[in-house]
Amino acid sequence: MNTRSVRGVVALAASLCALAGVTACNVESDSDTAKSGASASAAAAKDLKVGWSTIYLTPSWMQQTLKMLQADVDKLKSAGKVSTFKTFNANGDTSQQISQIRAMIQQKYDVILVDAGSSTALNPALEQAVAAGITVVAFDSLPTSKKVIRVGTDQKAWGSMMAEWLAGKLDGKGSVIAMNGPAGVAVSEDRWAGAETVFKKYPGIKIVSNVHSEYNLAPAAQSFASAYSAHPDIDGVFSQGGALSAAALQTLIKQDKKLVPITGENYNGFLKLWKSKQKEGFSSIATAQPNYLSVIALEAAVAKVEGVSVPQDITVPLPEITDDNLSEYVQTDQPDDSYPINDMPQSEIDKLIGK
Amino acid sequence: MRERITTAARGNTDLLGLLALLLVLLVAYQHYDPSLLSPASVTILSAQFLPLILAAAGQTTVMLLGGIDLSLGAVLGLAMAVFATYDARGAGGVMTAAALALCVAVAAGAVNGTLVAYAGLPPIVVTLAASFLWSGVTLVVLPQPGGHVPAGLVDAYNNGWYGIALPAAALALVLAVWKLLRTTRHGLALYAVGGNEHGAYASGLHTRGVKIGGYALAGAFTGLAGIGLAVQTGSADPTIGTPYTLNSIAASVLGGISFFGGVGRMRGTVLGALVIGLLTNLLLFTGISPFYQLVIQGVILVAALALKTYVTREAAE
Repeated sequence: MNTRSVRGVVALAASLCALAGVTACNVESDSDTAKSGASASAAAAKDLKVGWSTIYLTPSWMQQTLKMLQADVDKLKSAGKVSTFKTFNANGDTSQQISQIRAMIQQKYDVILVDAGSSTALNPALEQAVAAGITVVAFDSLPTSKKVIRVGTDQKAWGSMMAEWLAGKLDGKGSVIAMNGPAGVAVSEDRWAGAETVFKKYPGIKIVSNVHSEYNLAPAAQSFASAYSAHPDIDGVFSQGGALSAAALQTLIKQDKKLVPITGENYNGFLKLWKSKQKEGFSSIATAQPNYLSVIALEAAVAKVEGVSVPQDITVPLPEITDDNLSEYVQTDQPDDSYPINDMPQSEIDKLIGK
Repeated sequence: MRERITTAARGNTDLLGLLALLLVLLVAYQHYDPSLLSPASVTILSAQFLPLILAAAGQTTVMLLGGIDLSLGAVLGLAMAVFATYDARGAGGVMTAAALALCVAVAAGAVNGTLVAYAGLPPIVVTLAASFLWSGVTLVVLPQPGGHVPAGLVDAYNNGWYGIALPAAALALVLAVWKLLRTTRHGLALYAVGGNEHGAYASGLHTRGVKIGGYALAGAFTGLAGIGLAVQTGSADPTIGTPYTLNSIAASVLGGISFFGGVGRMRGTVLGALVIGLLTNLLLFTGISPFYQLVIQGVILVAALALKTYVTREAAE
């Protein structure tokens, strides 16, 4: 009986500690709730409460995006336009992202930025946020909802830009291995759809193998190696992501094979390989999902609150990295897993968001 | 009267700790969001938690049989895809779509069960293989996010229907069915086979049939979870189900379901799923850095499990 009561006390004490712990956390975050609710009025945005819900935060592309976004937040903070900025990481779980958006609605955020984990599943939650008077701007991976502002690149154009270059390079004929992202993911499907329409115009080009892989070096290298061993006589590789391109190029180098043209992305690991093999005749083209999409999204949200008529769909032009301007992008002193890109000038951002 | 309360408390010692944790979370939640107990919040929260609770119920059914279902997320995605694309494939109402999705999920569960029962393979291997199979089938049904759920239904589910929280009602219905089922021969057989397969067989139970039935029932729960998620999100996404596999296991284990089968109650699983759901929401409110949120979530779950084991050790001694 005695041990029983001891156990009861332990359980009770634990509950109390937990309660105390949770309430203690509150002290620091409550300090900024006393903001004026006058943000809806036009002219000047003041003390906006901004939240960013992202499906992933750990990949280096996301880390760079957060860094650029944070720099812009600091700028807007010192201008008095933004008071708080919080990042929410869903860690790959779309249902978790829905909870995050609902939590931000309940906490009366003024601006919600979102990098969506699913092109459709977030729509009801985001539209609820818009109905609650919150300015919602999506960037990078976009939802299909027509009620939120969407800042992105044209993924189909990405695919067709790569395919067009490759078809030109091969004079419209040859066998090609296609390296795509995971099946069922909107970005991957869109880029491939763009590429496919181009390849259809060139009946001489044969896709001998269509590989799906994570956008990661190790799984991509494995997938490419098995496709390549089945088709060692290819004339080119269509790749829709930098890690996939690096995996393909690495395999060719390792096996000491002919360096056929491979399309790419501004993944530094790929750019470095490209640079080092350029004098051996390797040629490529690359584009980028620019990290400054996040900055444009935040600027668009602030402008919208200030009464600017921001366009619903903001399509940011895709940068083009070629054999000629490669050296402006590649950063040989930086790690492979980074995405070199220059900031976008404020004037160009203003033009895009309709200022 | 007092005696009865003590007996009830004794029978549920393992759940009392969990209930206390849930109450703590609710009080803290109330502190951040004073509208917690308003009908609107109850609707929103139950809409959000329903898929996890149902998925955990499916996982619990398999775990009571001494198995584990790694294909749960894939089957959930499949049911979701079938439900949301049925409309586009031909005439038919929402009910037909739901029935079809449910049938597909039950069939998927029955296939898992048959492989476990007749091929004699360990459930973890069978369901791991099945997870690839079913996610592949899902991609055939729905190659990329899309599909369609009637807007009226989405609104009724997420924002209440004549003031009734539909998800909460659905949950109550499912739990009532489970409670009824548990007292039948089939329900008892489920526990018997999970607890001691040889003993159950020696007592004249058709253990293979019980297993197949149990996996099919788990499929039904998973299918309902998929339909719930489709209605919540107004669409289907072939990859959205994956996290539910591990989350459903976490909820079941937290709810006191034994990995070795035959031990545990569905009400524990429901509490476990609620704790996990509320905890993640609560951490969002606190505004702690996202990486620490994961750390805290893990620490609290481990602490809760350790505490529960400590408090209930007496029963085992």
